[in-house]
Amino acid sequence: MRMIGQLGEFCLYSDRIEKGICPERETLKKENYRSIQGFTFAYGPSAGGLLESVGIDLDTFGEYISDVKVIPYKIRKVRVKSIIDNSILYVERINGSFSASHTISFITAIEEGLGIEPPYEVKIGRIVEMELERIRNHLIVMQRVVEAAGFSVPSFQLLYLIEKVNRVIAKSFGHRYFYGVNGLGSLRFYEEIKSLEEIKKEYKEIYRGIIDNRIFIDRLQSNGVIVDKEGIGPVARSASFKNDARNDGNYAEIYKELGFSTVTYDEGDAFGRFIVRGEEVEESLRILSSINLHSVEYESKKRNNEGEGIGRVESPSGDLAYYVKVNENIIKEVYLFAPSSYNILAFSSSMVKNIFTDFPFNWESFGIWLSEVGVIFE
Amino acid sequence: MSWFLKGIRKGIKTEKEVKEIAPWATSLIGNGKFDDCPTKALDNGWNSGKCIFCRKCYPNYSPSGDYRMGSVTRRVPLFKRSFYLYPIDTGSCGSCNVELKLISSPQYDMTRFGIFFTNTPRHADALVVMGVLTDGMEDAFRRAFDAMPNPKLVIALGSCAISGGLFGKGVKADVIIPGCPPSPPTIIDAILRARGEK
Ligand code: SF4
Ligand code: SF4
Repeated sequence: MRMIGQLGEFCLYSDRIEKGICPERETLKKENYRSIQGFTFAYGPSAGGLLESVGIDLDTFGEYISDVKVIPYKIRKVRVKSIIDNSILYVERINGSFSASHTISFITAIEEGLGIEPPYEVKIGRIVEMELERIRNHLIVMQRVVEAAGFSVPSFQLLYLIEKVNRVIAKSFGHRYFYGVNGLGSLRFYEEIKSLEEIKKEYKEIYRGIIDNRIFIDRLQSNGVIVDKEGIGPVARSASFKNDARNDGNYAEIYKELGFSTVTYDEGDAFGRFIVRGEEVEESLRILSSINLHSVEYESKKRNNEGEGIGRVESPSGDLAYYVKVNENIIKEVYLFAPSSYNILAFSSSMVKNIFTDFPFNWESFGIWLSEVGVIFE
Repeated sequence: MSWFLKGIRKGIKTEKEVKEIAPWATSLIGNGKFDDCPTKALDNGWNSGKCIFCRKCYPNYSPSGDYRMGSVTRRVPLFKRSFYLYPIDTGSCGSCNVELKLISSPQYDMTRFGIFFTNTPRHADALVVMGVLTDGMEDAFRRAFDAMPNPKLVIALGSCAISGGLFGKGVKADVIIPGCPPSPPTIIDAILRARGEK
């Protein structure tokens, strides 16, 4: 059993929810490190080099960081409390890079609420989407880290692979970010997934080249250390904790059948997070090579007319969960636990006592998407 | 082996022709009636800037495979030799941001057209707006625009920035690039047209 985080009015654990506020995460409490008078360096909200808009206030007295505040600037109103089909359009676009994870977690919560059991092939199809999404996002995070560390050749080689993965997704699902693929009662799939072998081979070469590079290792090692046994995603796994919704979330049983094995590392630093992502790409490619997928329409036979449910999946940056209250065809209440909300806390805590020049690649190593924390549900 | 040699060994990966395109990032054709479009993109024929490519109108409307969806109301041929873009995310879901970044991937290699990203609006020829204009980003958007030297263009990338899409309001722009999100070939094609090429 592990604590995952705040899900609206509940604290979400891997095996239950409890009404109320989650206990404070002791390991992420920032140390008091303000003995010398410093100044605040305000970065963003729009700054070259950032992929998304975000304000980052760094308190520093020269070289060392004494405190960090991450401020989301783009806040969007998301009209999810409507009929199910329309609400899915919004959920798909909360965080485009994790669109499959968001949508599948949301639909799973609805299915739980209405007592719908999707067929096995649909569950497999959802796993395919989430693993392709993981590969793409891990490659993006790795590319961002490598670029921030000033290595342009591997940075372009990773961009080449990201584009390739996007083409594979588009060919099989019709859209590069899985929009319009998942519905309550359907999973749109065009054709068998091909060209993964080539990606696998090219990836291996690029990845080994990066992690064998002493200069790269030196820049990332001991940078932004977080050892949090209640952490999520690659942050927790890089510090040897096997926390992963693929082991205890909604699709855990199928992952077990597919022989999923959790990747861990033992340092909890930016290098460890890079390694965990790097090896997870290989694990996801392995899982995908063992699956044959078909398009599925299924009858969403309801057992209940109303109810509430929780869906939890492993997004590329950790647990992602929705709580949904549904009545007939209408969504009445929605709560979201977005992995980036945890990762922002972990990043902020990890920056204290780090030096200023480490900030860009440490930030990138957490795989944070501001789009999913800046949403207000209506 | 050094990265330089590794890079050379891979050879040229840039594609002369557009190779693969996601169907639901191309213009829609059809004439069947459809009343349930979530963004009212079918009220008066198909409106590319309003469409979020959600597939609800399928099979009445289906993708044509034509990715050249951009439209340009003001061209600046002066930017033909070098064109510096300053991306600004005013409220996106993140996909437009990744697709824009991918025009720099080896497959597309934007630099062969003299297209570059800049880290400051002071060096920018065009502001590339992604996402709806959220309250928190309105000031940053105005300041970025004011900081740019003349002549300058505003490019609205994706249905959010063009029309507000599902989430809110868009911006006034000289170049619109439809899509949710637009794919890299659509982006490059529209940028070239904004410079008076094509
Ligand atoms: S794809 Fe969706 S948004 Fe576009 S016209 Fe059809 S229904 Fe409207
Ligand atoms: S246009 Fe679509 S892809 Fe682009 S930011 Fe808006 S919702 Fe995301």
